[in-house]
Amino acid sequence: MRRPQKSCPFCETRVHFIDYKDDRTLGRFITDHGKILPSRLSGTCARHQRQLSNAIKRARYLALIPYVRGMQA
Amino acid sequence: MLRQYEAVYVFDAGLEDSAINERLERFHSLLGKPSDLHVDHWGRRQLAYPIGRKEQGYYVVARYSAETTALPEYDRALKLDDGIIRYLLTLHDRELGAPELSEEQLAAASLRRDQDDDDDEE
Repeated sequence: MRRPQKSCPFCETRVHFIDYKDDRTLGRFITDHGKILPSRLSGTCARHQRQLSNAIKRARYLALIPYVRGMQA
Repeated sequence: MLRQYEAVYVFDAGLEDSAINERLERFHSLLGKPSDLHVDHWGRRQLAYPIGRKEQGYYVVARYSAETTALPEYDRALKLDDGIIRYLLTLHDRELGAPELSEEQLAAASLRRDQDDDDDEE
C-alpha cells in the first residue's frame, strides 16, 4: 500500500532558493544527531531535497549547524 | 567575465573590529573594488562545533560582482590569512533554484494528493 504523499514544505511556501546561511530553517531538516532528514519523512520534493542537502553541507562547513550532535561520551 | 559571488568569512572572534575591517578592505581591493559590494556583518556568534581551540567566530557575508580572473589571487589571500577560521565562496548568479510553480501545477499536485489519500482508504 502506498503512503499518502506529503506535500513539500518548500513548494508550499514558494521557496526558490534554499539559503545555506539560514540555520534556523535548516535546523528543522536535520535529526537530533545532525543527520539530514530523508525526504520520506519531511515530504520534500526531489528538487528541493537536493538543494537542501547542499545547503546543509555548506552550513556544516561554516559551523552554523553541527556535523554531529549529542554523541559526546 | 563578470560574475556575482557571495562570500562568507568566519574570522577569529579574538580579532579587533578594526583589524577585521582592515582585512575586508584588503581582500576587496584585490577584487578591484567592486561597485556593487554589499557587506553584512553578523558579528560574533557561537560556532556549532569547536574549530581548533576556537568556540566563537566573527561572521561576515559579502556579495559582489568580480572578474573571474581576479579570484585566484583573492582566494589565495584568504587561504593564507591566519585570522580567518573558515571561508566559503559561492557563485550567486546561477543559483536561481526551482522555477516557480504555476497555479495549475499546484492545483494538479494537490488534486493528485487527494486522489492518493482516497486510494489508501479503500
